[in-house]
Amino acid sequence: MSDGKIVSIHSFRGGTGKSNTTANLAAQVALTGKRVGVVDTDIQSPGIHVLFGLDEQKMGRTLNDFLHGAASIREVGFSIGENPGEGQGRAQLKGSQLFLFPSSIKGGEISKILKEGIDFNVLNEGLQTAISEFDLDYLFIDTHPGLNEETLLSIATSDVLIVILRPDTQDLQGTAVTVDIARSLDVPNLLLLVNKALPKHDPQAIKAEIESKFDAPVTSVLPLSFDMAENASRDLFSLCYPDHEWSKALKNVVPFILNAK
Amino acid sequence: MIGSVLEKIHNAVFFQELSNDALEAVAAKATLRRFADGDVMMRKGDPADSFYLILEGHLKIVTTDARGEEIIINKVGPGETIGELALVDERPRSAGAVALEDVEALEMTKDAFFNLLDQRLDVALGILRGFSHRLRFSTTYIEKVIDWSQKTAEGDYSFLEQTQPITNRPGTDDDKAAQLLSTFYSMVRKVKAREEGLKQQVEKLAFEIDQERRKKEFEEITGTEFYARLKEQAQTIRRKRQGS
Repeated sequence: MSDGKIVSIHSFRGGTGKSNTTANLAAQVALTGKRVGVVDTDIQSPGIHVLFGLDEQKMGRTLNDFLHGAASIREVGFSIGENPGEGQGRAQLKGSQLFLFPSSIKGGEISKILKEGIDFNVLNEGLQTAISEFDLDYLFIDTHPGLNEETLLSIATSDVLIVILRPDTQDLQGTAVTVDIARSLDVPNLLLLVNKALPKHDPQAIKAEIESKFDAPVTSVLPLSFDMAENASRDLFSLCYPDHEWSKALKNVVPFILNAK
Repeated sequence: MIGSVLEKIHNAVFFQELSNDALEAVAAKATLRRFADGDVMMRKGDPADSFYLILEGHLKIVTTDARGEEIIINKVGPGETIGELALVDERPRSAGAVALEDVEALEMTKDAFFNLLDQRLDVALGILRGFSHRLRFSTTYIEKVIDWSQKTAEGDYSFLEQTQPITNRPGTDDDKAAQLLSTFYSMVRKVKAREEGLKQQVEKLAFEIDQERRKKEFEEITGTEFYARLKEQAQTIRRKRQGS
């Protein structure tokens, strides 16, 4: 078996900036020369493909096809390095070893899989095959918010779980449950990432407070950014604006992933 | 046209330099128009073929931001004119106008206006004076910038919340005064953010986790058959991978 690592990115509630963070992190890790995959297991509301410039026309086989047995995982993998598409940020990914495994955006496909449910063994086998066939160092999984079955599946197979939360009471409450679940499922590396921190709060204080609550490392505190909100879904923000505060804070997360055992 | 209307025309900044005789000539060429609350009087981008002098009621001058959201640039009331600049420079409407209540206005078409200028040198001169008057004195944007400057100097940023973000796309030939306003707006927004960052008033984050709820939700998830199976499968896989 390959020793590529599965990195699940999760948040308890929507709106934490999960897909954006996942896409930017995966791109940053790929730019260090690693071979990286990104799987969209947010089957109910797929979205990460947009950040990599994929639309319905460019999208070939999907994770849904694989789960139905209609396609192999090799057919689903889309090379971003070969097709970085338009956009000044994404253009930097040309030649990188970055592969996207998108979820279908067709309504019928979505409801079909939701009705049938996902078989743990099939999904796990798909992830392992993706790692071995594409010789991946890291396979990022963008999960659906909350703790539904498919999300629990992703957490269960993770080597690294990154929980994204905003510094507010509701997110902290939900994160508490996620942390307990991750520990119950023996996830080896549990990391926290705070996004959308308000300027009136000291990032160091946020980090200290949250680390003490959960006894898990806070990898970075990303600021709430108007620029980010304005540019978000168009391109990969941290590649377009590498010197922006948000991008710099995001890049702090990379070593945590590279050093995970 | 009745005397009260003439008086209202005379009170308008745009026409205040006109003699009574010239005012009557203007009034004779104009049409009285009525708008109800919410009526669109002008649309941004429309060709400019007439202008209005507001006699009664108020209206808003609106444009849209990059997201298509309405931005109110200004409110206009009795004695003020709208659309006269576009008439002279023959550019499309730079903003829209929407009645905020019942509005009574005098409309003068472009043709009537130019006819009048052609025939009556005194009217033309009076109107030129009105224009220069306007240039010399307030433009709403500049007044706003002054107002905001003073507030910013005093550390009062409340206008940022009261005003919707104003965005100009660089390269467009939007009004330069409007660009000044939008640049000023984003400058103050950044100054405020920087100031807050510098203050680092570490507001104590008071997060309280409801431990009972946490336990209950955890048990709800882990108590299912699905979860038991999942945990078992996950353990098998992890063992297998560690062994490999």
